[in-house]
Amino acid sequence: MSLVALSELLGATVRDASGTARGRVREIAIAPQEHPTRVAYLIVRTADGERIVPAASLKACGVTVRTDSDASAWERSTTSDGVLLLKRDLLDQQIIDVHGRKVVRVNDVELDSTPVNSHVILTVVSVDVGARGAIRRLTKGMVPSFTLRALLAKIPPRVIPWQYVDLLETDPARRVKLKIAYEGLSKLHPADIADIVEDLPAAEREAVFETIDEEVAAETLEEIDPKVQVSIVESLDSNRAADIVDEMDPDAAADLLGDLSEDHSGQILREMQPEERLEVTQLLEFGEHTAAGRMTTEYIAVSATAAVDDAIDALKRFEGTREALATIYLIGAGHKLVGAVPLVKIATSSPAIELSTLAEAAVSCAPDTPQDEVAALFDKYNLITLAVIDEHGRLAGIITADDVITMLRHSD
Amino acid sequence: MNLRTLTKGWKIRLALLVAVVGPGFITANVDNDAGGIYTYSLAGAQFGYSLLWTMIPITVALVVVQEMASRMGAVTGKGLSDLIREEFGFRVTFWLMLALVITNFGNVVAEFAGVASSLELFGWSRYIVVPVAAMIVWLLVVQGTYRSVEKIFLLASGFYVAYIVAGLLAHPDWKAAAVATVSRPSGLGIRNYPYLFMLIGLVGTTIAPWMQFYLQASVVEKGITARQYRTARWDVILGCLFTDIVAWFIIVACAATLYAKGHPDIQNAADAAQALRPLAGEYAYLLFAAGLFNASLFAASILPISTSYAVCEGLGFEAGLDKKFHEAPVFYWLYTLLIVTGAGVLLVPRFPLVHVMVLSQVVNGAVLPFVLIFMLMLTNDRELMGEHVNTRTFNVIAWVTVVVMIVLTLALVITQLRG
Repeated sequence: MSLVALSELLGATVRDASGTARGRVREIAIAPQEHPTRVAYLIVRTADGERIVPAASLKACGVTVRTDSDASAWERSTTSDGVLLLKRDLLDQQIIDVHGRKVVRVNDVELDSTPVNSHVILTVVSVDVGARGAIRRLTKGMVPSFTLRALLAKIPPRVIPWQYVDLLETDPARRVKLKIAYEGLSKLHPADIADIVEDLPAAEREAVFETIDEEVAAETLEEIDPKVQVSIVESLDSNRAADIVDEMDPDAAADLLGDLSEDHSGQILREMQPEERLEVTQLLEFGEHTAAGRMTTEYIAVSATAAVDDAIDALKRFEGTREALATIYLIGAGHKLVGAVPLVKIATSSPAIELSTLAEAAVSCAPDTPQDEVAALFDKYNLITLAVIDEHGRLAGIITADDVITMLRHSD
Repeated sequence: MNLRTLTKGWKIRLALLVAVVGPGFITANVDNDAGGIYTYSLAGAQFGYSLLWTMIPITVALVVVQEMASRMGAVTGKGLSDLIREEFGFRVTFWLMLALVITNFGNVVAEFAGVASSLELFGWSRYIVVPVAAMIVWLLVVQGTYRSVEKIFLLASGFYVAYIVAGLLAHPDWKAAAVATVSRPSGLGIRNYPYLFMLIGLVGTTIAPWMQFYLQASVVEKGITARQYRTARWDVILGCLFTDIVAWFIIVACAATLYAKGHPDIQNAADAAQALRPLAGEYAYLLFAAGLFNASLFAASILPISTSYAVCEGLGFEAGLDKKFHEAPVFYWLYTLLIVTGAGVLLVPRFPLVHVMVLSQVVNGAVLPFVLIFMLMLTNDRELMGEHVNTRTFNVIAWVTVVVMIVLTLALVITQLRG
């Protein structure tokens, strides 16, 4: 096997079965429907227009490209629907480097040509994003190719293996045809995805959010700058937006919907699941900078008479965020808050013990408490969660420490 | 429609405008930098009111070009260097970026020279002023966020009012100035070479390559989208109008004093302020000097950062103030070097400053045609711009503008090289 760069192949002379030079390489095409990395055909500019040279007829790929087919058999190149054209779609374009977790620009593409039964099979191996590809393209045609190769070998390569490359495509139909699903991207931590997405132009952001899994999209959206959040949600159709907002933390969802225009947030709310909609609309009624605006309604509450066993059951059934797990709240008659049990005590106690014996007095605040007072409570009592209770002493929601950190970071 | 709904409509429109105002307004104003102010002063001092007629066509040209950059930013969400790289390839981008660095370096030097000469009027040594100014510029951008920096820049744009007040203090002949603005004077023709050179100079300082990169990048950074674009267009138009009104007042102020009293020879913008002192009074002098300081520091803050962004984005280096120094080394080094060397050369005794300026102007003239033609090609690319491609009428105006700009800029380069 040997590596050949896309920029070397482009413009290379193409010889047919008789050995006559027939034209020059203009494009290299991959058909992802057939094979994800193997080159399907070359587009060659000949005296008789642009022709397609099937990859199966390639005998050598380098400074000159040899084929064992007759030039007269090369079909006329017409549509490029459903294929990935390496020069047009990849060279100089931005891609997501999943491994390095950032957006990069492609300087060159490295292909591997492996001889098999007197033919060569050409496959894409990696994209070059470093100085090597840049210098190769800058000096192409000015320095003899063997000198250049020797020179370039001295430059440490900066390449991204093809499996870590996620292409950016804004046309949904083409995304399907080219099988672009942002699989690599979806596996990253939502906070990393958020950083990447913030670096993308608006249309590409939209493409990512249309494609990735709703749950990942929701978690990612929570990590994104509020202003960018709004522009992303506005660009999605309300159906898709509702699906994503459904999966978000109710307090984050309420903050986001509060920033949207009333028309838009109304539309999204209408299409949300009834249960999530109820929670979010309740939160929306409070001011954003109060305890109620910061709280989440997804918390663990069990009856004051329950045992450790019941608390563990409740933990297993809980679907909210992990941060809310830190405290189990005890509820008396009429949903009144009577106490709190830290998770640690549950973990270290035997199942039959009654929770009331483990309970501590729960620190709480009113829904209209300003957010800086909320932060002060966290500081004073070293809290992980804080209960928000209404005027009748009923548990309305909880605030978690991670929300307070976010709040403090954004307050200046 | 009753009055209430009418005012409500206006309030909404005003709120929409406030949300997008910034990039266009700031870019247009930075155009009146140290070099611009000098050129306008000289035009007024040497030719009185007789070049005022150029202000209207210059404004049109400025609006046409800026509008394209702003529209591209809003529609594509990408910077100009990104688009050039994606559509025209690596090699073109590389040479263009190299040229941009050279010409912008010259501009940075000119801005720091403006800072130095304006404060030397007050007797402050450049050996203190220039390093302090460089430090301020560096910190402002590295420590600030886009939003806070934009507010400071908008404030700096507001300070240009100083020139309008100075113009009022110069007690010009308003009627003559107004007539000269709308009609070309008959006495001066194409054969009058000094007049022609001055005209070329005026036009040449109006549209620079860096402005297009800066404007488009800040439209993107502000998050303006195609839907807000109709309003964003007003940002560009108002910015260009304000900028050229300021320019008009500079010309008028110098025409009413320096030209009228026969002091046509000024070497730089600080000279103009100095020469105004006995003619237009202490306040006009102070306003001119303060205006020059503001303009120079303002442009010095914008040029290095906009250059670093354009170069890094075009060539694929990490860029952005939200990145740490080690994450985006090329970005920060380029930015820092432009400031340090740009300010530094002013402190080197007997540094051949004139040669740097001439080189910068020549490269500027060589780059501008490419940038403008690329912009026209990009804004006509339907795949890129969708329904926001140039209309036929716009294209006619834009091509005429671009061809005139190119011819005049090349003429300026030739006069620079011969002079």
